[in-house]
Amino acid sequence: MDRRSFIKLTAVSGTSAALASCGNPENQFIRFLPDEDIVPGVAVWKPSICPLCAAGCGLTVRVMDADAEVTRDGQAGIKRIAAAKKLEGAPAHPVNRGGLCARGHAAIQVTYHPDRITQPLKRSGDRGTGQYEAISWEDALAEVVSRLNGVDAANPRAVAFLSRVGAGHRSALIQQFAGHFGGSPISFELFGDDVLRRANAVSFGRDQLPTVDLANARFVLSFGADFLGTWNSPVAQSAAYGDMRRGRPGIRGSFAQVEARMSQTGASADEWVPARPGTEGVLALGLAHVIMAASLQPAAAAGRAGSMVAGWGAGLSDYTPQRVEELTGVPAARVDRLARQFAELRPAVAIAGGAALAHSNGLFTAMAVNALNALVGSVDQPGGLSFTPQFNTGSALKFSPAAQPATPLQMLAADALSGAAVPQVAFVDGVNPVFTTPRAWRVREALEKVPYIVSFGSFLDETSALADIILPDHSFLESWVEAVPESGVAAAVASVAAPVMRPLYATRATPDVLLEIGRGLQRPLGAAWQTFDEMLGASFATLPSTTPDVDAWTDAQTKGLWSGVLPAGLARQAQAVADGATYAFEAPRFDGDAKQFPFHFLPYPSVPFGDGSTAHLPWLQEMPDPLTSAMWSSWVEINPTTAANMGISDGDVLEVASGHGSVRAGAVISPGIAPDVIAMPMGQGHTMFTRYATGRGANPAEILAPVTEAATGALAWAATRVRVTRIGPPDGSLVLFAGGIREHLEQEHR
Amino acid sequence: MARWGMAADLDRCNGCGGCVVACHAENNISTVGPEQASRGRAKHWIRVERYWEGDFPDVKLKFRPTMCQQCGNAPCEPVCPTYASHHTEDGLNAQVYNRCIGTRYCANACPYNARFFDFFNPSWEKPLQLQLNPDVSLREVGVMEKCTFCVQRIRGTQTTAKTEGREIRDGEIQPACVQACSTRALVFGDLEDRESEVSRLSRSPRGSKLLEDVGTRPAVTYLARLTEEA
Repeated sequence: MDRRSFIKLTAVSGTSAALASCGNPENQFIRFLPDEDIVPGVAVWKPSICPLCAAGCGLTVRVMDADAEVTRDGQAGIKRIAAAKKLEGAPAHPVNRGGLCARGHAAIQVTYHPDRITQPLKRSGDRGTGQYEAISWEDALAEVVSRLNGVDAANPRAVAFLSRVGAGHRSALIQQFAGHFGGSPISFELFGDDVLRRANAVSFGRDQLPTVDLANARFVLSFGADFLGTWNSPVAQSAAYGDMRRGRPGIRGSFAQVEARMSQTGASADEWVPARPGTEGVLALGLAHVIMAASLQPAAAAGRAGSMVAGWGAGLSDYTPQRVEELTGVPAARVDRLARQFAELRPAVAIAGGAALAHSNGLFTAMAVNALNALVGSVDQPGGLSFTPQFNTGSALKFSPAAQPATPLQMLAADALSGAAVPQVAFVDGVNPVFTTPRAWRVREALEKVPYIVSFGSFLDETSALADIILPDHSFLESWVEAVPESGVAAAVASVAAPVMRPLYATRATPDVLLEIGRGLQRPLGAAWQTFDEMLGASFATLPSTTPDVDAWTDAQTKGLWSGVLPAGLARQAQAVADGATYAFEAPRFDGDAKQFPFHFLPYPSVPFGDGSTAHLPWLQEMPDPLTSAMWSSWVEINPTTAANMGISDGDVLEVASGHGSVRAGAVISPGIAPDVIAMPMGQGHTMFTRYATGRGANPAEILAPVTEAATGALAWAATRVRVTRIGPPDGSLVLFAGGIREHLEQEHR
Repeated sequence: MARWGMAADLDRCNGCGGCVVACHAENNISTVGPEQASRGRAKHWIRVERYWEGDFPDVKLKFRPTMCQQCGNAPCEPVCPTYASHHTEDGLNAQVYNRCIGTRYCANACPYNARFFDFFNPSWEKPLQLQLNPDVSLREVGVMEKCTFCVQRIRGTQTTAKTEGREIRDGEIQPACVQACSTRALVFGDLEDRESEVSRLSRSPRGSKLLEDVGTRPAVTYLARLTEEA
């Protein structure tokens, strides 16, 4: 290492501060005097909330003494601290009831990751190269404030705030902050549920994901929803699933999964129904047709949800089992049988999600499944679906509602590239759109047009590496955390937890930073609170206490959550969308000519990595994928017959090419995929995301076509066609746990 | 004296892998990285096996969480020249790391591939060492390691119960995998106690032992995933 890079490194890692402190005895750490009261070797347990998906599972964190390298008052050194040791599911939390998924367990590695950003950084090299130098919090915040003071106040698109979807307090504050500049936060999630929320708003007047009472269902029919793995609230749904199977004496619920590539959820189904991609809604209406034709239920039973489907009142004569077989590939006799099961095994519930809704006709599919549920009376009934009352944090905090709807990300990108509307300042919080969007949207190029980008990231990734300044957030274990679950529970829940441990580094909680920036503006934000915990206190104080003689805020902090009946003014209002339209099947639109690109391409959320946001955690990298046992890798799933016809063997390097690009990965020959479908897990293929994820595997989002669902603008991520070429024999990049010598030995024994 | 056992209800298990990461977190199992993993050196004391049946479109996949079966008649124990691998009074196949000299005879003898050899000294890139569980010793190079049924939790609960002058309650001891399991597919407890949940499940007509014909007398019972009521 040369002198120049040594200085850079020390500047970034903060050790230069430690060196500087050596000559200052008053700044020396007193190593064995702990920061807080803690008895060596004795564990205490503190509540927290898992931050890695929107489900909001409650955690119990084991805290013990440990010696850690920390930064205190600008000085770095070794200190005895009370450190989080393990995350466990909180037994009393109504969402996860003591369970915790693989991602939740690994969340502790977010805090202890060796590549965490430990202090504010200012860009010193070209965008995207990851070259930064240290800057003090005071200078960094002054710079951001000065930039914001300079934006055009009359332009509602001058400030763009890219963040995660959410209904919690942090999201409300971000909404308020963005609204101060006339805009709304821009959220994009590759595997988002905008289509389903929209369908629920139209069918049931609820702009929300459903809570499914699996535990009491006799028959579950899922159209593409990976509800035991990655969709909605997987731990809550898994707990209920266990009870559906074996929680009721003498009753075992049955379950069928409709999808062209077997997911982890599909693997648990009694019956796997591979319908042609984009025709799942046809199957749902086929079942409804049989149910009505056999007079098992009258058409009117479906009410409003049914009336939204074209031809419903006439018994859906276009969706006879024969016609459904032609369109979906599911045999007519099977359509008839599934329909009778759905109508007779009561309560029955249908779930739509995942790839089934990721088509140009996704809204139709969701509307069809909603109508099917309504037909058999499975809405707001035990064993059916319902909508969790949700705490309206915005009204509790007396925030003004959003001035205008958010600009979709693809529009932001297109307008920035064309010059029609280039944001003057962009904020990025908790999202990585450069990685998760189709290359065809050119989000990276668009962000490069933005003169000033602020990131709150804890890691350098493809998007935060474009930032001009990085204001690193605390990890969730070091900050006040909260969650307002959208689904997964029957009653309203608002979770909250104080920091589990003191921050390791010179980071600051992003909500506190937003409040501080807001105070510094020429035209201040005008928030009534100095800090985020004050804001949380004000919000929880509006709720009715559920414990006598204890106020709601104190009670919530003790329990880690508030749960109860929301007063009328504090519940999110049902929002009926009446667009006057009725929905009928339209053939899904696919990008790419079927002759040139013979396969449907199905990227899917990986069980450990979701959309790729947790690929930096080594436990998850080394966790074998449930369906393939692959670790540290990307792969391409292909049907055995198709592979044989193309001369492809396990592990062979394949190139998957769409009209928008190509990716390469090893072949996994899988019986659970249709012959004309190619699937790839999302998550790997990061060009920059810590030592554990960088340069590993391929990113399927790169080759996605920019096809969208018209009403919501949601990306139709299952609408790309591809061709597959065998490039060569295995190159060693595909690592399987159940591979190599073990299987070989087993075969010898046989 | 208790005899610890586990039941795994395959009708509840959905293969999510929560147990796998929970086990890493509890037992200080080091990750080995892609190069060593590709040489079969990854260590997962519990894994989710998958068994494919049938051809497209009539395909079924069955998951089976697999860990050390804590055999009553364990092939790993008599082959150990140093008594590192031994049987405890309460039925565990225990491993004394300090005695282990790395002959790997035990791994050869184990029909379940449940034992993992440390080809390297474990290392954690700072500050990942802060995640380590102080209740579980680290294994150095040349040592065999495997599932212990979270013996540190068993002994901890026994000590607590003794201090409080009471019996251990059924379900009070939860190995990390059992605690993590969202679907409640994994149940742990005392097989000697006829009233315990694990004992009841182990007598289920759906129950069977893994490779029971080889005579290992496992302490883990698998409850079959059935589409009709057994």
